Amino acid sequence: MSESIKTRFLIICVICTVVAGVVGVQMIRIQNTEPAQRLLAAGENYQGVTRMVYPDRGNIYDSKGRLLAGNETSYEIGLDLNSVTQPETVASIASSVLGLDYTQILGYAQMTPGNGNPYYIVLDDFVDEDKIVELETIKADYNSREARGNVVLPSISGLMWTPHSQRTYPEGTLAANILGFYSYLDRTGGNGYFGLEEAYDSQLSGTPQAVFYAFDPQRLSTVEEIPPGVTLILTLNREIQAMTEKQLDQAIEWSGAEGGTIVVYDPEDGGVIAMATTPRLDPNEYWDYSELFPNPMPYNSAISQTYEPGSVFKVLTMAAALDSGTVDVDTRFNDTGAYHIGGHTVYNWNHGGWGDVNMTECMQYSLNVCMTWLAVEMGPDTFYSYLKAFGLDRKTGIDLGGESSWPLKLPGDSLWYEVDLATNSFGQGISMTPIQMAMSIGAVANDGRMMAPHLVKAMVIDGQQYNVDPVVVGTPIKAETAHSLTNMLVDSLESEASVALVDGYSVAGKTGTGEIATPWGYSSSETNASFVGWGPAEDPKFLVYVWLEKPTISQWGSETAAPVFSELVSKLVVLMDIPPDNIRLAGEIIASGQ
Amino acid sequence: MKKDLLQAYKQAPWRTQIQWVGAFLLVVIAIAAVSGLYLFISGRSAATGRRIQNLENEVAALHRQNNDLETQLGEIRSEQALSERAKALDMRPLKPGEVLYLEVPGYVPAGGPNLAPPPMIIEERTPLLMPEFTSTFLDWIASKLQATTLNPTPTSEVQP
Repeated sequence: MSESIKTRFLIICVICTVVAGVVGVQMIRIQNTEPAQRLLAAGENYQGVTRMVYPDRGNIYDSKGRLLAGNETSYEIGLDLNSVTQPETVASIASSVLGLDYTQILGYAQMTPGNGNPYYIVLDDFVDEDKIVELETIKADYNSREARGNVVLPSISGLMWTPHSQRTYPEGTLAANILGFYSYLDRTGGNGYFGLEEAYDSQLSGTPQAVFYAFDPQRLSTVEEIPPGVTLILTLNREIQAMTEKQLDQAIEWSGAEGGTIVVYDPEDGGVIAMATTPRLDPNEYWDYSELFPNPMPYNSAISQTYEPGSVFKVLTMAAALDSGTVDVDTRFNDTGAYHIGGHTVYNWNHGGWGDVNMTECMQYSLNVCMTWLAVEMGPDTFYSYLKAFGLDRKTGIDLGGESSWPLKLPGDSLWYEVDLATNSFGQGISMTPIQMAMSIGAVANDGRMMAPHLVKAMVIDGQQYNVDPVVVGTPIKAETAHSLTNMLVDSLESEASVALVDGYSVAGKTGTGEIATPWGYSSSETNASFVGWGPAEDPKFLVYVWLEKPTISQWGSETAAPVFSELVSKLVVLMDIPPDNIRLAGEIIASGQ
Repeated sequence: MKKDLLQAYKQAPWRTQIQWVGAFLLVVIAIAAVSGLYLFISGRSAATGRRIQNLENEVAALHRQNNDLETQLGEIRSEQALSERAKALDMRPLKPGEVLYLEVPGYVPAGGPNLAPPPMIIEERTPLLMPEFTSTFLDWIASKLQATTLNPTPTSEVQP
């Protein structure tokens, strides 16, 4: 080979190498330009689709496993504009089956997707299964027809229905004040409001996750299983709740009260067995909320409305006096009918003096003067330290959204006066929620141990059930004090043959009639009638707190709230399988081998 | 001997050509075999993936159906519905005096509902795709080596 040919080959090789190198460099450069990256990213869109998946909201069950809040399938109806072939048929069917506006749907169906127009339009949402079945029947009918000649077959192609979950409450208004509601119409930003739906909103809703659904079946391994929201099992008993609500409604109608609250509470573990209030909203139609609850009406007065409880508070005053050793059960007091304190005079409810009485009689006759004397004898430091120990200076922390409390005025506060020591001792000038009262008085029914009120008994998280242990909030009084006071209250009810008594069962209890503060002073004609009672006295299984707001049939708790307690408990013992005392105590004797 | 072979090839050059053709065909067959195997695995993997996709959709549909049935059951067995049915059957709530209580020694009332196992029991989850469809040859070797390391062959007899 001559030298010139060799040189020529060399030049050609160099040129080819340079060209190849330039092509390579150019390839790399082009692939890394911004438009190329955008193209690559756009290409990723065709690999699959990323969707935000919202887990099913957790169910809520009562203590026996009966569904109180769950989910059911609902449908979104949409129009895939790329697939619409017969706008008139689509509009006609959507109009006749779903009741949508024909002209509007026809306008949508005739749109050309892209160039500013959407590809998909939502026509309707939360459509029932029945209508979907109707649409599926029509679609199947159209698909089964065979074309003959040039006849164009009808088609609803482009009309789509997509299933999704909808919150549902099968019991309607039952326990609505406890459950709260979930704003399910907002499918991406729904929230729980009030009650359990608010308190456990984040747990119930679970964690939404962005999931990539690959079109390439080989990439399916990236799809992750999304755990559903937490399921709640409550201490609430549905049958008892229903019975309590019926009793409350009847009591309000009978007494002419403006409203009312009944709490059935387990003093042993703090579980709320039933909690009835008025009014009650059907959480399936939560949009009626503002109409049913005009501001400032609370959604659940048992936890959100404070009031001056009146004489039921005397249970706590007497508990403090006994526990601090200020008095004992046999201490006697000479009631003159008036007590002067801080420039004011305290009178009994009948403005009379009851003479020489013991502590049981102080409770039985509900003597304000006696309670004032007890508070003064204890001194403000002791008295208020007991009130704080009973948890009356703070919220109970119940696991429901919307709990309120009223500040407890203490000696040294600018708004506290000496007379407050007296009025507070018989439940005036002090405001509590019914659940605060139930929790604190529950300590008397539970050997002095005060339990945290709660609704959730167990949770199911990711397929495993976690039981919630009861929490002891404190031990404000000794067990002996609790027993003595319970016996005093049993005796006081039996001595006066109270209408609160329940045949066959020993119950302890106390009535209360709280005057209502108005801009012109306390009103004697408008009162809050209350009753707190628990039983069976030897081994309490329930504590019932009744509050009727402004009853008109009578202003006294002993005539309005007490009979409600009796009637409710006579049904409660059947539902709770609590035998009468004679059978129960005989059984205990047999069991203990005596 | 070497001389004889060279002579033979010079006289019959088609022998060299056959060798080249044979080598080329061998490579083609090897590539075809690997491609076929790859296609087979990919096909199976894709079919399995599609099946999983369908099963996932089915699971989602069954899950929705389960929710619907539970809600329907809740509505049918709601307190109001049961009360109405009981009234229609001339039933009424018991009064305390009408209940007959029996002493059953050793009877422990049923506790709350158990909707799921307690936290101590952890179920093993089946992977979405079997490792055979996702692991590489190197992964397989590594797993075998790991298994051998974790479970060495016993060097001495195990006493019963």
